[in-house]
Order: sequence, then structure tokens, then C-alpha cells
Amino acid sequence: MSQVFDKLLDARGLSCPMPLVNARKEIGKLALGQVLKVVATDRGSVADFQGWAKVSKTVELVAQETESTDGANVYVHYVKRSA
Amino acid sequence: MAERRNDDVWTAGDLLERLERRDKFFVLDVRNRDEFESFPLEGRSPVPAVNIPYFEMLELGGKDEMTDSVVAYVERDLAGQIPSDLPILAVCAKGDTSEFVAQGLRRLGYTSANLKGGMKAWGEHYATRAVVDGPDLAIYQVSRPARGCLSYIVASAGKAIVIDPLRHLNPYLDVARGRGLTIEAVVDTHGHADHISGGFALAAKIGAPYYLHPYDAIHPIDMLPSTIPCEFIRDNQMFPVGRDELTALHIPGHTLGLVALRLDDRYLFTGDSIFIRSIARPDLGGKAEAWAPLHGRSLRKLLGLPGRITVLPGHFSGLDEADETGRFAASLDDLKRRNDGLIVLQRESEDGFVRYLLESLPNFIPEYVDIKRVNAGLLTPSEEDAATLELGKNVCALSQAYMASGGGRE
Repeated sequence: MSQVFDKLLDARGLSCPMPLVNARKEIGKLALGQVLKVVATDRGSVADFQGWAKVSKTVELVAQETESTDGANVYVHYVKRSA
Repeated sequence: MAERRNDDVWTAGDLLERLERRDKFFVLDVRNRDEFESFPLEGRSPVPAVNIPYFEMLELGGKDEMTDSVVAYVERDLAGQIPSDLPILAVCAKGDTSEFVAQGLRRLGYTSANLKGGMKAWGEHYATRAVVDGPDLAIYQVSRPARGCLSYIVASAGKAIVIDPLRHLNPYLDVARGRGLTIEAVVDTHGHADHISGGFALAAKIGAPYYLHPYDAIHPIDMLPSTIPCEFIRDNQMFPVGRDELTALHIPGHTLGLVALRLDDRYLFTGDSIFIRSIARPDLGGKAEAWAPLHGRSLRKLLGLPGRITVLPGHFSGLDEADETGRFAASLDDLKRRNDGLIVLQRESEDGFVRYLLESLPNFIPEYVDIKRVNAGLLTPSEEDAATLELGKNVCALSQAYMASGGGRE
């Protein structure tokens, strides 16, 4: 199922903490209610985006997906600027 | 390997050295809470630590860059919890994020180092120590300190047998190369549940036979045969190595095919039966009631061996079980006096001991079913999945249950 999003952030190849650091900068540039799609190859990002959304008062984790291309996993996170 | 030590970065080897010396330091662990709880950093003495996931520091520190957020967060929310008179080791899963944390702490005036490679590197660190290093016989204990796994290289007259090799093969190949040894056989004392065996892979790489007892060539829960080729071990089978000889003793209990390996009256490789502090659990095959009596009888058989024999176990539960030289070894007589399980075994009837075993079972670890599948060739994980399956310390002994229930040691 593919989600609607307003901006795409390619964080493939980046290791922790950069996918989340970059996502946080990008979402700050979005308007309220807009969604950022983040694609990452760091498996740890799945739990980290969940934890971040829990502690943040301004983002909401809309969905997460794992896509497998050529045996390599890509982890996709949809985060909405909620405040 | 004359590498200059950089105090801002500790390798896993540096960390082990400090843990063994009981150096005082403090850990700021920025992994997720469940990772911190399931796989903490443990030493000979407790290591004081605080766990703040990095994304909390980033979000609550409120700055764009990681290091700036660390500085802001620590200054405002953490200053009281971090000692200013101890080195602070920053720890994360893979060692990248903790580098930002260490930098932030140094900017605030703390002495801080990054654990290079994070808990992954610590979990995959190996240490090799000679138990005996004579002109004839040498025994090397190869351990994974974070996981509490022990394996052995028995060498005599240029020949060697490797017992229970762990997943990474270089530690064994390095010793063989460095000492000019020919590895003639690889033996798994049993089908392991807590870690992925390197047994078949090592044997295949060097062209040596791989030995396992036939009962452990069947996955006990799936009831499916192993797809990994192996030579079957018989009870009392001899394994010559140079001028010495190992004898297999079939001691079912922890698994149905568990064997100990005895080197005359000097050394006893006990696999998962007798450890230093405790004994093995009988339930990892899912048949605790049926296997516990076998386990008791096998342990009694081992108790009948000469008391001066040195026990070399397959696991430890804590670095504090090592002797002052860092080796996990003790005479059978010594263990009869101080091993929790052996004390009960000597005191109780057969039925009483079975009750003790069944009352002391730690939680069943679901991952262990999959690890046994990997070791039986029924599942082939990627490197990342293999590392994840093996994360954390083994729970093959009864003692952890005892500790977790608030018992602990006197």
C-alpha cells in the first residue's frame, strides 16, 4: 500500500543517526499536516523512528514499510508534521 | 600490533581489558531501551550506566545537529546523573551515533570515549588465552566475552582439534597459523541453541571432518533431520591429537546428544553440562520433564571423574567467574564445593534434583529455536540476521533464573 507524501528524503546508505537527524531537519521545513517520506537502508531506523515519534510533540509516524529490492531491504518511514 | 592507544576511542579489546581490571568508568548508552535492557554492558563488577536513547537527546536537546543536541540535553537534563570524576564511555548499537555523544560530552568538559563499533563489535569480540601452553600440550580458550561463549583449541605435536568453534572463524585460523598447527578435526559437543556454530564452516574451510553426536543431528522441536553433513560421535570414541587423545563421554541432558571430551585425568571439556558457577538447563529442546532425569544422571557420572581434573566449560554467565588470569577453569573438586548446581546435586536424591532443575528454569528464549534451526541447516540467515539472532548474552545456565528471581549469590 503506498502512502501519500509531500516530500521525499533519500537517506539510503546513511548510518545512524543521520537518517533521523536529516528527517528532523526536513520536517521542520514542512507545513502543518504535510508528510515526509524517508527511505533508509539502516535497519535500526525502524525502531528509532517509532521512538522519535513517541517523544516528539510535533511529529506523527503515519506508516512504515519494508521494501525488498534485489535482496536488499529498504526501510520507508512516513512522518507527518502534526504541530 | 603496536597500535597507539587513543583515549577518545576504546576498541572492544580495550573495553575487555578495562572490565577485567575493574577500572572505574561510567556508561552513557544511547540505544533503545529494550536493547539496553536485553544486552547491557557487564563486567567483573557492575558497570554504572544511564540509558537515554539518542532520538530523545536529539529531540529534547532541540538542535539541528546531533552533537549540539547532546550538549544541550546533557547540560539541562543529565548533568546530575553523570559523574564528572570518571571517564564516560558512550555506547550505541554500531558505534556511529555514540561518537557524536562522546564529542558532545568532551565539549562540556567530561572525559569521554566512544566504544568503537558499538555493542555489535563488543558482542563479536573474541579473546584467546592459553589454559596450558607447554612444549607438548597446549589448550587455548577462545571466548566471546559479551556473549559468555567459550570454545577451545587443543594442540599437541603440531596437530589440533577445535571444540565448539563459534561463528567467526578467524580466531581459530589465526591460532593455527601462528602456532603452525594442522587442525585435524572439529567437534561440536552438542547442537547449540544460543549461538550459531562455526563447526561445519571451519571444518569445510580446512578440509577436516566435523563431528556431532547423531542425537543432535535432529532438531528437537521441529523433529527434522539436520542437512549439515557430519561424522557421528559414539560414546567413548577416541580422538587422537598429536601425542594426546580426547575421549567422548555421552552425557545427555542439556541436549540428547551432548558429549563431554576428556583428556586423560587432566582436562574435561564439559560443553553445556557443568559451568563454573552453575550447571546447564535441560529445557532448550522443549522436553524439560523428560530430559531433566537424564541430565541429573549425566552430571553424577561426571562427578565420578577424578577430582583434580580441570573443568573447561562451554559458557560463563559473568566475567566474575574467571580466575584472576581471565581464564574460565577450575578443578572438579573445587566446583563440587562452590558450583550452585553441583552442591544441590550432591545433597539431593534423583527426584529432588529433578525438582530443583524444573523449578530453576530461566525463561525460554524464542530465538533459540531458530538458532538451532540454523545449526541444523534448516534455516540460512543473512549476516545481519545472524548477528541479530546472536545478540546479547547466552542463557544456557540455570543460574540466571536464580539471579533473576532475586536469589543471587552470597
